[in-house]
Amino acid sequence: MLIGIDVGGTYTDGVLFSDGAVVHSVKSPTDETDLKATLLLVLDELLAHGIRDEVHRVVLGTTLITNLLATGQGERTALLLMPGSGLPYGSYRICPETYFLKGGIDFRGREIDPPDKKEIELVLREVDRAGILRVAVAGKFSHRNDSHEKFVRERIGELYPAMEVCLSNEVSGRLNFPRRAVTCYYTAMTMREWNRFADGIEAAIRDRIPSCEVHILKADGGTTTLEGSRKRPCETVFSGPAASTMGAMALSRETLNSVVVDMGGTTSDICLLIDGRPLNASKGATIEGRLTHVSSFAVHSIALGGDSSLRMEDGSLRVGPLRLGPAVCFGGDTPTVTDAFNVLMDLNLGDIKASRTKIEALAAEAGQSVEALCLAVADRVTSTLKDAIRRMFTEWEDEPAYKVWEVVNKRKFVLHRVIGIGAAAPAIIPLLSRELGVDYFLHPYSPVANALGAAVSRPTLAMEVHVDTQKRTYSGAPGGFSGPVKERDYQVHDAVKLARMLLAELSRQRRLSVYSEDAQVYLEEQFNMIRGMGLAGKLFDVGIQITPGFIEEFKGVDL
Amino acid sequence: MKPTGVLFFPAFDWAISPTHPEREERLLYTRDQLFEEGIMDMDEISEYHPRLASFKEVSRTHFCVPSVDTRVTQAHLVSAGSALVMADAFMKGEVKNAFAIIRPPGHHAMTVSHGNRGFCDINNEAVMVEYLRQTYGVRRIAIVDTDVHHGDGTQEIFWHDPDVLFISFHQDGRTLYPGSGFDDELGGPLAFGTTINIPLAPRTTDTGIHYVLDNLVLPLLDEFKPEVVINSAGQDNHYSDPLSNMSFTAQGYAALTTRLKPDIAVLEGGYSVETALPYINMGIIMALAGIDYSNLREPDYDPARFKETADNMRYLRALVDQQLAVFRQREEVVEKNRRKGEEFASIKRSVFYDTDYLREEQREELRICPRCAGFRRITSAATQRTGQRYTVFCVSLPRACCESCAEEARDSYEEMKDRPAFDYVYLQDRILDEFRTFDTKAEVESLL
Repeated sequence: MLIGIDVGGTYTDGVLFSDGAVVHSVKSPTDETDLKATLLLVLDELLAHGIRDEVHRVVLGTTLITNLLATGQGERTALLLMPGSGLPYGSYRICPETYFLKGGIDFRGREIDPPDKKEIELVLREVDRAGILRVAVAGKFSHRNDSHEKFVRERIGELYPAMEVCLSNEVSGRLNFPRRAVTCYYTAMTMREWNRFADGIEAAIRDRIPSCEVHILKADGGTTTLEGSRKRPCETVFSGPAASTMGAMALSRETLNSVVVDMGGTTSDICLLIDGRPLNASKGATIEGRLTHVSSFAVHSIALGGDSSLRMEDGSLRVGPLRLGPAVCFGGDTPTVTDAFNVLMDLNLGDIKASRTKIEALAAEAGQSVEALCLAVADRVTSTLKDAIRRMFTEWEDEPAYKVWEVVNKRKFVLHRVIGIGAAAPAIIPLLSRELGVDYFLHPYSPVANALGAAVSRPTLAMEVHVDTQKRTYSGAPGGFSGPVKERDYQVHDAVKLARMLLAELSRQRRLSVYSEDAQVYLEEQFNMIRGMGLAGKLFDVGIQITPGFIEEFKGVDL
Repeated sequence: MKPTGVLFFPAFDWAISPTHPEREERLLYTRDQLFEEGIMDMDEISEYHPRLASFKEVSRTHFCVPSVDTRVTQAHLVSAGSALVMADAFMKGEVKNAFAIIRPPGHHAMTVSHGNRGFCDINNEAVMVEYLRQTYGVRRIAIVDTDVHHGDGTQEIFWHDPDVLFISFHQDGRTLYPGSGFDDELGGPLAFGTTINIPLAPRTTDTGIHYVLDNLVLPLLDEFKPEVVINSAGQDNHYSDPLSNMSFTAQGYAALTTRLKPDIAVLEGGYSVETALPYINMGIIMALAGIDYSNLREPDYDPARFKETADNMRYLRALVDQQLAVFRQREEVVEKNRRKGEEFASIKRSVFYDTDYLREEQREELRICPRCAGFRRITSAATQRTGQRYTVFCVSLPRACCESCAEEARDSYEEMKDRPAFDYVYLQDRILDEFRTFDTKAEVESLL
């Protein structure tokens, strides 16, 4: 038996899944001030419908980190940057308490300027005086050489052992210093709160189901163990859209090009599946308006959902963006998008008479027939969604390309299907798919797809390795792995082997070892370094990952 | 404020040969530097996706022998197409200026292309110029070539075009490939003075180059009043470049860009892949975007390292004065050339393709038209690497030519189609935007 719980902004959904069927599902309002209580409430209701000892996996998706950051509740954190030469320091407006340190590393991981011990001590004294207890340290090219970041951590350890330190190379191994710094900063800022939450959740679940695995859903559609999340809490942001996309995949199980539209109450999230695989955000998740190195699905969110209100304003119809309570058919006061579809398509959702009364009143105000008004609403909704979907296609097609073959074989998105998720989906998706000229897919479990998606998603993990045979070194991240390589006759398959080994090591540390053998290579670059007329060495960049997918025991959903 | 457009196309899967300077590794460290800096994420920058240039877009500038598809690699088409993407972004007003950081380069490719010269098959900037004219009706354009090698291809293409001001500064041709670009190369009889060369002594520093910029290049641009300024942004004047002997720095390049204010910069050469390119490319982007670049420097940068010599400054002052004077009397010279009353001006030349190791023999004729800048007829022959020898006849009509030149040019093409001496006869009709190739063996005409 599997349990998936997805905490959303408005509602928390949960499912109990067993032998290909949803045994029970729960929808409960989210108490933003006490997420733990919300989770446990849903968990207990699910457990009441299952056999406690048979539940062996619980996956949670939570908005805790998003909330902490959005509401400014993260702990005050100092950011120590070592940018070396390049952009002016003024361009790093990441946080109010940013300090700059000497020290420079170049793209090959060679030291250009050493760090200055005196300067570090002076800065730390200032940080300490300001009463700041958390420090994020980020150096340019630190993922190619972490010695400067480590040096700073050692000084902190000696002088201020109470300070919590987070190093950027342990958070991400990808190029892009500002994003690495932001990710490191957010990690340092939320780590303790996350751990407190994790402690509480872990204890509560252990108490109820002692031998159960507890996983957290991440923005990339994979899970990590509760233990694994403790070092990188930022990975748990935006699990909502990830859950619904994984849910859509779990229900449809197809290798088509699809667009997943998750129609919520207030907003709709759109994701693309390319050959059945979810599209990742090329720039990483944007948290609080800042780009990060947190891998995430490419999600386009629009302020339009089933509960978006319908009003006349200055003689014209307004659709959304406000939500003024639920649809009239479900007991609300203001007519909504759902009500309009209910009337237009005779859907018999809730109290359809109530929908009709309010829509008729609105039509009278607009001086239109009921049908004309409903058609206008439908038209607005589908065209807004259509525009957003088209924009996503184009963005994907127009991603930068760095190889000739990528340009010659320019990708083109041909849509095969629309997959509808969420409560309002049955009303809107058929119309949208007609507009787009493709089929649609709706499933009786569509309304609980996100919780189901969480329940059956498998762990994901990625590792990037950079090998420099001239310097005879390698660095692997996340995790801050580095070491020597044998110079002679090193080949790309050696680099892949090394990456596999490091990934296995990282998954062992995070207790995810089962899936590391399925890891796929997603990046394989090799460059000859020619100096003079001869080969001076080779550079390899290898990326390997356990991609999003389903746990082994999940074989599909029965009806 | 509008962003700066950047199109980064490192062609990570293309090289002339594994150990050639024009190889996969060339923009690798630039990639590392740009992406680690996160510059593409900044509001000041907008990143663009490359595209392939079409055969027709190439044919507006070149006669590829025997045809575009057999002559040009896909890498070259992507590189030229990338320049066109930047031209669109600039002309549509999406960006305030743009930088195509692309490979392979193009400024040694001439009108007729039998192969690869100086790592170039087709000329990215020249293809862009004809695109700007055809698509946006731009007429007057300036190209400032800041590569250490003379932009001989670009010079040859616009030699007879009075609407393109081509300015090239470079290491003296007596000391460096391609061995041209002397101060007396000033343009054809009807376009005299719109080609300006500034041969520089080896080891010229930031000071010397900035002197030329401020006292010659900027005044020339001021007087010529181009609608678009293009920078052939070669980066091999750098002190660490392995193929040349100059003393320019990344700071020097950035300051040059700030003052030159090019609308569209297109990367040309630069083969110090590790110690120069990452810093210069970054510096040029920052300068274009108006970002302070005082914190950008090469690891071994030392402003006191190179001092300009008094001798060199004397030479530069004299050269600058001379070239300014030449430019200012250009219209008189053109008038005088017209009055000579010749029907055609002709020259013979021999062009060596160093990369492909072949030699082209060429005869070019310019119609000395009393009303316009005339049209060109070119007879060219070369034995390609495959052993195949092609003798071709090319007719080129500029967009800005008069009706009688257009008619005469089209007649020349028709006339030559019956001559068995030529394998192919080409017509580059820019007025109709039609590009014809006649295969005399098969007696088949194709049209782009």
